[in-house]
Amino acid sequence: MNQKQIACDPRRISLFFRQQLTEDEQSLFERHLEGCQKCRDDLEFEAAHAEDWSLARDSLSSETIEPVEFQSPSPVPLSGWYPADRTDAALSFLSPTDDPRMIGRLGAYEIVGIIGQGGMGIVLKGLDPALNRYVAIKVLAPHLAASGSARLRFAREAKAAAAVTHENVVAIHGVSEWNGLPYLVMPYVRGESLQKRLDQCGMCELSEILRVGRQVAAGLTAAHVQGLVHRDIKPANILLEDGVERLKITDFGLARAVDDASLTRTGVIAGTPQFMSPEQARGEAIDARSDLFSLGSVLYAMSTGRPPFRAETSYGILRRITDTEPRPIQEVNPSIPEWLVVIIGRLHAKNVALRFETAHEVAEVFEQCLAHIQHPTVVPLPAICQKRATRSSTQQLLKVTGAIIASLLISTLLWQLWPGSDHRRRNTAADLPLEKSSSSADLKVGIVELPTSPNSDISKHEPVVSNAPLDWDTTAQEIQQLQQENSEFNQRVNRIWDD
Amino acid sequence: MNSTPETRLSLLIRVRDPADHQAWLEFIEIYRPVIIRLARRQGMQEADAEDVAQTVLISVAKSIESREHDRQQARFRTWLTRVARNAILNALMRRKPDRAVGGSDLHPSLDQSESDRHRDSELLRLEFRREVFRWGARQIKSEFEPATWDAFWLTTVEDRSCEDAAKIIGKPIGTIYTARSRVMRRLKEKVTEYDCAEGVS
Repeated sequence: MNQKQIACDPRRISLFFRQQLTEDEQSLFERHLEGCQKCRDDLEFEAAHAEDWSLARDSLSSETIEPVEFQSPSPVPLSGWYPADRTDAALSFLSPTDDPRMIGRLGAYEIVGIIGQGGMGIVLKGLDPALNRYVAIKVLAPHLAASGSARLRFAREAKAAAAVTHENVVAIHGVSEWNGLPYLVMPYVRGESLQKRLDQCGMCELSEILRVGRQVAAGLTAAHVQGLVHRDIKPANILLEDGVERLKITDFGLARAVDDASLTRTGVIAGTPQFMSPEQARGEAIDARSDLFSLGSVLYAMSTGRPPFRAETSYGILRRITDTEPRPIQEVNPSIPEWLVVIIGRLHAKNVALRFETAHEVAEVFEQCLAHIQHPTVVPLPAICQKRATRSSTQQLLKVTGAIIASLLISTLLWQLWPGSDHRRRNTAADLPLEKSSSSADLKVGIVELPTSPNSDISKHEPVVSNAPLDWDTTAQEIQQLQQENSEFNQRVNRIWDD
Repeated sequence: MNSTPETRLSLLIRVRDPADHQAWLEFIEIYRPVIIRLARRQGMQEADAEDVAQTVLISVAKSIESREHDRQQARFRTWLTRVARNAILNALMRRKPDRAVGGSDLHPSLDQSESDRHRDSELLRLEFRREVFRWGARQIKSEFEPATWDAFWLTTVEDRSCEDAAKIIGKPIGTIYTARSRVMRRLKEKVTEYDCAEGVS
């Protein structure tokens, strides 16, 4: 290599930035820089203005640059804050134990093993030596615990949840912290989650669906009364203690802690959004009725064996939740009775105001449904289940009435037209209320007038014999118009009923 | 405030046109920290600052939904920036009176609030510039060898001399000079790229 110093050359700097120097030229240039302050300054100036250098320093010094995991809609990491083969690392926060049968110690608890791990943390099986009973201990994942607000939220929500005592809600014995990791202690529930059961058996029996619906609604009632919204009702959070006879809801409000953390970190949804409500999906403020939508999704999944809103990406799922209706239940499983479809439909209303108002109401409905399927002749279905039926028959009735009226109108017209003159025809058409009701504001008037005036018109119109030639074209037009108006009228009536 | 399961995705759901997704994601990545920093500077707790950021982003997202009529008037990014700046200033201004109570100026004039807004606006501009630099740095970091990046980082951000950096990294000092300048040049390019796409200065 050429050891000789080279002279200053301003062009070299711009060639360097355009990456047009050969390797040799570049090392010569670098060697030159070792001694030449002027070229150093020029290089710095060419790279960026002084203010940009200082802006870079100011902005970057306040943080360490970690590449932000940030892709456009990505598949949801369903679980796991540790790869399965790294459970040793997962347990590194445990203290050693003297008991050889145990894998470690956490606070006062001897840890027997791992029950499971999910987006939020790890669940351990522990032994409470003081009371000599098994407990489940949920430890917040270290990466979540790193966020101060998530840690606070975890503790706060857990304390709120601890205040809920109900047979269908997992009790919380205590909340504490161990080596900076917050954890909560719950009774050890033997049994499986509803998710596991759905994975194994697919669709559920009608009575099972009703039992789950009743108990989840009852558990939610107890929490909602305390102002606590679950936010993450899904089959994985419903523990079946004794089949579907006795279930417990777990993880009350904890979804929030995860949100706090993921919000400040990567913004990836922890867990699946499949059971979210539309208002959750849109990131809006939510209330207790959000849980009711999620319950609707759970019952849909039990009825059909699949979640109602499915897509490849979590973004796709959210979009479906906000924008589309799930496939009708009976298309997937015809054995589900219409009245259950109606109930799930009410839970699943996109518009919050159209859902049941309280979980309590839902629990009562399911209670009565259960009684009904046990004693169909003694106990009637709840009123809400019959609503759709009466509604559709009323609708049917209206359609029929509409059709009758329309044919009456047409025949009236024909009666008149047969002998009638031009002048007379026009008058008649103007008398008909429907002709006037072209705007929706007029529609109501049309409805009110409809049953009486055309009929009374009919009685007035006696057939009159005339020799005047019939204008068939105009008549055909008028008939067509009347038919069109009639069908419009029917549509509007249907819409009014649907609203 | 009732904070919700909030994610970028749920904000994304507001943007109907997939062509706008990338711009919107980038926007959130840059503006969320800006809002949080500004709010923190006003003495807010971390969690409250996050709530403010959340509220602002949701309100911006809501205006995206009702944007249809504006379509030809402004490109998405330009429009977004304008809406966001207003929303941020409004959100932060609203909190001001709490702090001003007991201050020496008992009759803050209109001029006062006007100049307040001007100052806030400048602050926002500066915070935004800084965030764009951070964003740019994240974007380009992977384009460089670790040693090249370190040369830039040590000498620019950590304010070390090039001699020190040469010793730490174990490369000739000339290499340190070229390395740091190359990274800086690229960073500047990236930031300019963003500015151009944004249509703001």
